[in-house]
This record gives sequence, C-alpha cells and structure tokens, in this order.
Amino acid sequence: MTRPRAIWSIATTRRLVQLIVLATFVALVLGTRWDATTPSRAERLRTFFAVDPLVLVTTLLAAHSVPKILFWSLATLGVTCLLGRVFCGWFCPLGTCHAMASRLLRPGIRQRKQWGRWDSWQGLKYYVLFAFLLAAAFGMRWIVILDPIVLLTRTTATALYPATYWALKETRNSVYRNDPGIGPARLAKVTDPTFDWLNRNVFGAEGMPDPVYLGGGLVLGLFALTLALNAWRPRFWCRYVCPTGALLGLFSWRPLLRRSVLSENCNHCDLCGMHCHGAAAIEPGGAWKPMECFVCVDCRESCPRGGLRFKFALPMLKDPELAAVDFSKRGMLLSTAGGIAMLGAMRIHPQSRGRQYAPQLVRPPGSRAEPEFLARCLACGLCMKACPTGGLQPSWSEAGLEGLWTPVLKPQIGQCDYDCGAGNLCGRVCPTQAIVRLTLEEKHATKIGLASFDVTRCIPYAYGRNCMVCEEHCPVPDKAIFYIEVEITDRTGGKTKIKQPHVDPEKCIGCGFCEKVCPFKDRPAIRVTSANESRHPADPSLRPEGNQPILPGEAAPYG
Amino acid sequence: MNNMNRRDFIVGSAAGAVALSASSLLRGAAAAETPAMTIAKWSGAKELDAAQMKQAAVKLTEKAIEGIGGLKRFVSQGSVVWVKPNIGWDRAPELAGNTNPDVVETIVRLCFEAGAKTVKVGDNPCDLAAKSYVSSGISDAAKRVGAQVVFLDKTRAKEVAIKGERVKSIPIFPEMIECDLMINVPVIKHHALATATMCMKNYMGVIEKRNTFHQDIATCITDLTRFLKPRICLLDAVRILTNHGPRGGDPKDVAVKLAVAASTDIVALDAWGAEVLGKSVNDIPSIAKGVEYGLGRSDYRAIAREIAVT
Repeated sequence: MTRPRAIWSIATTRRLVQLIVLATFVALVLGTRWDATTPSRAERLRTFFAVDPLVLVTTLLAAHSVPKILFWSLATLGVTCLLGRVFCGWFCPLGTCHAMASRLLRPGIRQRKQWGRWDSWQGLKYYVLFAFLLAAAFGMRWIVILDPIVLLTRTTATALYPATYWALKETRNSVYRNDPGIGPARLAKVTDPTFDWLNRNVFGAEGMPDPVYLGGGLVLGLFALTLALNAWRPRFWCRYVCPTGALLGLFSWRPLLRRSVLSENCNHCDLCGMHCHGAAAIEPGGAWKPMECFVCVDCRESCPRGGLRFKFALPMLKDPELAAVDFSKRGMLLSTAGGIAMLGAMRIHPQSRGRQYAPQLVRPPGSRAEPEFLARCLACGLCMKACPTGGLQPSWSEAGLEGLWTPVLKPQIGQCDYDCGAGNLCGRVCPTQAIVRLTLEEKHATKIGLASFDVTRCIPYAYGRNCMVCEEHCPVPDKAIFYIEVEITDRTGGKTKIKQPHVDPEKCIGCGFCEKVCPFKDRPAIRVTSANESRHPADPSLRPEGNQPILPGEAAPYG
Repeated sequence: MNNMNRRDFIVGSAAGAVALSASSLLRGAAAAETPAMTIAKWSGAKELDAAQMKQAAVKLTEKAIEGIGGLKRFVSQGSVVWVKPNIGWDRAPELAGNTNPDVVETIVRLCFEAGAKTVKVGDNPCDLAAKSYVSSGISDAAKRVGAQVVFLDKTRAKEVAIKGERVKSIPIFPEMIECDLMINVPVIKHHALATATMCMKNYMGVIEKRNTFHQDIATCITDLTRFLKPRICLLDAVRILTNHGPRGGDPKDVAVKLAVAASTDIVALDAWGAEVLGKSVNDIPSIAKGVEYGLGRSDYRAIAREIAVT
C-alpha cells in the first residue's frame, strides 16, 4: 500500500518557515546599523535573543539579572515541553544553515545507513552543558558564545557580511578600472549602479566605512568547517555540539507531541531513519528519543506505507516507544569536575576578575565593570555590526579566553563616534545590556580610556615639524588636546617656533579619533589605552581634579 | 537629422564651431567688465529668526553670483558641475562646522538655471560621511533642488601626479576632477594649525592621505590649488567659526556675519575671509604662498565690489 506523495506537505511548510526565519534573521543583522531617521530600527534583532533560552539561563546564572525582554524565552521552553525541539527543527536559523548543508552534502540513499543512526556521542553535548551551567553559576558564562543565535549573529556580522561586501565591491572596482567596453557599452554602467543600489538599500553602508573585522576570516573558516562536518554526519553541530539544543532536549524529555509507529504498516525498511535529522531513532521501527528529535517530520514524509504518525499524548504517560538519553553517574561526575576545571582555567588570566587591565582593552562606552561585563556579554558581535565607525572589533587576546570575541575598540580602525546615534548605538543593540544604554549627555561624560603621546614618534616632538592633526579631530568641543607653542633648535642651530600637542586628562574621553588620524599608520604616535575609564571608578589612573558626574551603574561593586 | 550625409555633417560642424568660438569671444568681452570679486553683505534687519536667516543666505548667494556676472560665465550647457562644500564634520548648521546648507542649495539651483545637466554635491568628510552629510543639512538641501549627493569611495581614489613643490603625487577622487566644473563653496572657520580654513584649504576634501599635509600646510594646499586651477569659488560667511576650529561644537564659538563672497580669484577670497575672521592676511601663510605662485592677489579690495543686500 503505497501512499501517493503529497504536493504540499508539513515538511514543505517547515522548509518555508525555516527560510523565512533565516531571511528575517539575515535582514535584521544587516539592519543593525546606524540610521539617521529611525535609530530604534537597529534594535530589532534582539527579538531573536529574546526567544533563546540559553541566553536567559546563562545570563541569569552568571549575572543574576537580565533585561526583561529575555524572559520571552520562557515561552520557548513552554513550547518545547509541548511539542519537543521545534525550535531546532523549524525556527533556529543556524539549524536551517546546517539542514541546507546536510541536504547538499548528503550521500546517495544506499550509502546512508549511518546517516540517521543514534550515536551515543550525541550525549556529550548534555555533559558539556551541565559543566558550563555549573561554571555559569560562578559567573563564567562562556558556553553562550556557542549558542546558535549568538554564533550565527557573530558569523554573519563579522564574517559573512563583510566577505560578501568585499567580494562584490572588489568585483565592481576591478570592472571600473579595467572596463574595455564594446563601443559605447560599458560593463561598469551595470556593475556600478548595481553595487550602489545594494550598498544603499541592502547593506546600508553608503557613506560609511568599509566593514573590516579582526580575525573575521577565522570566524568564517570555523563556520565553513562546521558546515563541512555535515558531510560526515548531517546536522553535526545540532546533534553533537549545540548547547541550546541540549538545553531544549532536557525540556523535551516527554513532550506532548509524540511519534508513533503503526506496527502493521512498518516493514522495518529504515527509510525514516535515513531521513532523520536529529538521529533520534535507535533502530528501524523501534523506540525514539524525543530529546534528540527536531520534529522536522521528515520521517513521516519519507514512509511510503504511512507507518509513522505524530499525535498528542498525556505528558506523564509512559510510552514503550519513548527512550531517554541516559546520563551516567561517571559522566555527571566528570562533567562537574570539568565545569570547575574550566572555571579555574579561565580565571588563570590576570584580566579575568578586573584586577589588572590590559592597555588595549578599551571597551565601548556604557560597558559595565569588567567582571560584570564578562558575566553578561554574549560575544554576539551586534555592537560591532552597529558601530558606525567600525572601530568595535572582536577581541582575540586582550580579554583572555573568557573574553574571546567580546567587543574592544581598535581606534586605528575606527574611533568611538562622539555623537553616536541616540547615545551609544552599541548599548542600544546589546541584548543583555553588558553595554548599558546611555543618553548622548551621559556618553559625552563617559571616559573609555585616555590618550597619551609617544613623544619619541610624535612629529612636533621627535621631528620638529608642525602637525596637530589630532588636535584638529578631537571631538570634545573645548578640546581635550591642546597645544603649547615652543621654540626648538634644529640641527643647524636655527630656532623655529612649533606647536606641540598635549592631552588634558580631565577632558579626554578616550574616543581614539586622535589615534585614528595620526599620520603614523603603523604605530600611531598618540594612542588610547584603557587608563582612567569611568567603568572602574575606584581605580582611576589619574585622580580627577573637579567634580565628576556619577553615571548609572558606576556605583556597582566589582572585583 | 535622420538622413544626414557626410557633407551635411561637415558643414554643420563647421558652422557650430564658428558659433561656439564667437560666443566664447563675446563671453570673454563681458567678463572683462564684470568685477572679479563680489562681496554681498546683509544690511537688513539685525535680529533674524531661522526663516529670515535662511532667506538672507539665499539672497546673499544670489547677489554674490550675480555680481560676478552670473553662473552662465562658468557653466556651459549640458555640463556636469561638482559643488564642493565643506562637509568636514558631523555638526549641525548652527555650529558653523560646515558650509551653510542654504548657500549650497542656492548655488545648486543657480547651476541648473545656468544650464547644467547634472550637479553633484559631495565632500570627503573627516567624520563619518553618511552622518556629516545628514547633520550638516547639506544632503537634504542639495536633494531638494535636484542635485546628486555623492559619497566618495576611498577605494576608488586614484594616485595622480600633481607635481607640486612638496606634494608630488596624491590619491584624488576621480569623479571630482572628471567634472566639467568644480565650484568650491567653503565656510570661514578658525583652524588651530592653519589659522583659518577657507577656499584653498577646502580642496583637502578632494584627496585622500591628507594627514601629512599639516607638516607644511601652506605649501601643500597651494600645490593642490595649482593642480586644480579653480575658476570660481564662493566663500560662505553667513555663520563663521571663530575658535576651536576647524571642528568647533560650542555655540559660543559661532559668529553670525551674514556675508557671502564670490570670485574668480581664490587668493583674494581667502584674504577677505581672513579679515572677516579678525586676522590679517599675514597670519595665513597659504595666502602669501598663493600669491607667490600667481594664483591670485591678496589685496582683494582692488578687485572687489561690495553689495548691500536687504
């Protein structure tokens, strides 16, 4: 009894939903940018973080407080209790990427024996999750950097988008420069307007700096690698690694929606197993692990005999077809030990508890004190995407392993824009408020670092010529860089007057515009370090002379 | 014109050439009588609200251009004109960090009236271009009268040998120098290093890699001006920045002067600007350098005519 293939099936609906969610996600990442008219548009991607339960759980454990919007993810947990891991199968944009890669890389049906077979290593992700949730309870939220929404946001913002941008732009420029043309026809007349249109309407990067990110190639490489692993096991990331999948798995131990096999229709052909995304089936026609099932319903679609069905059951009803992922005592013990070991390992770095500050660790304005910042920051890269100058970069070593990919200002790439959109755009888009929202007045009063001259390089000091480009660009209205005219002696003994610049530590906010524009492009002669930053008020490098304004969050204890 | 043969074409072109040269001769004769520089000064009501201020800026610009014989002298039919304001900074018009948007709007309109096919407006700001174009009010103003607002692409700047005294070659934005005419429309501002930034200094928006210019700014901007060979400049003194320039930001540093000057002599304009800013011509080394290279004269009074505008 062969069932005719339906033209429109539940699986088709699912694929449509997945594509729409993925497209929305990418559009919102691209939309996270400075906008003259509607600054709040940049915040829309936070919706995706709001429904991600791992973001809620780790932030709550590590920082003990979260923005209210994140509690929406409780709804995700509720849905998971009812329907199982539909988040993974229907919603997750990273899951969709892996599903597409799996489909592209999947072998012929005859080579697909191991494709959908449950592998006990899939249990590893649960142990890893336990270990890191334990560490999160001690303030170390590191696991969340592997969360699928966080990971895909970072990958799209700092790798996929810039790579696409540069590929298109370099093509356009090379056509423009080398266009031979056929008679009056010029290829550049097509490529130039096309790119300009994309740049204006899709990238929104017109009149903005070109996107560049430190180590973006490595982020792209890691992403390509995880996609490639789908050739070995489909949805490798989702099955073996994803911590959010593991968390949702715990909530779909006994979902209401269950798969059942009609034994009279089943001939144990294992077609369903060969189509299974999550490797939730143990043996042909046998029991099923809802904790590993993405509810993609491809098994139901694949069965030519209509032998599979999804139906609702009472939650606590025992079911012979239901199998759990077993956790061993030894595994749990190892996981506990591993969590504590990881916590310790991260804390080896002197940076970790805010006892010592790396000079290059210039955090965006509104950042909380370092320990609290690290407890909240997801390293999602949204602030870096939003930063209008592109100066916010993923950190690789400045903040230790615990602070991998967290934002750090690299003034040589871009300064902290003085009149940034409606205060600090980085704070507006931050999903966990590791960077607090500031008004423009608060931002102007926030010091993120201090500029200092390297007088062995600075041109008026070291080479006896005028320069003052830093003074000219200093955005503080009454100038944090000032000059003193001095008489210098040149090598022939002649005297000339020259303007030598100085930094006023009271006025300097550490925006780094001076460093950006210094004629020295190798190692600027004026550089910003994290000294004097407002977020560590108890530890000023230079004691303020006057009354300094107290900013929100400043009085928070740290260390 | 559909059935034009070779003979018709040759005859037609010859006639056209004669007509063209005759008209340019006539134009040259007219130019000799019109002053090389006009200073339009407001002599109407002293206290102006925002709308009146805008009207004053428009009138001053119109009169200044009219005074030097109108834009038809410079803009040929169907040509492409680049209006180059100073959009250096992410600053509102009231802070005088950039050229007055109403002045820019008026000059764009006058270009179209004089027969320009396309008018492009753009600069290479120090702050973010997208933000500066908007906050300066220039983007909206220029678009209102049909100009193309162009963002310069740093990856397209082309190294050009300009063979100056100090600057031998520099990356220049090709779109700007490929236009038929560039009208330089800066604002008068204090400048910590160059004392003042006016017409000659405004050409720093045509290039990239400009931050080494400051080591000898007078020579460098003179080199650039010699290469660009300006035909007409307009200097905006509706509001000027008197201190903490060129960026400014404090309303206390802004003075309302309500004047606009136009000239074919870039040095004379800068000399006038220096006086408006309360400096002497000798305070600004680029003026002397410009005179030295024959770019113009510093005794602007010899060629300027003042017009009172109400």
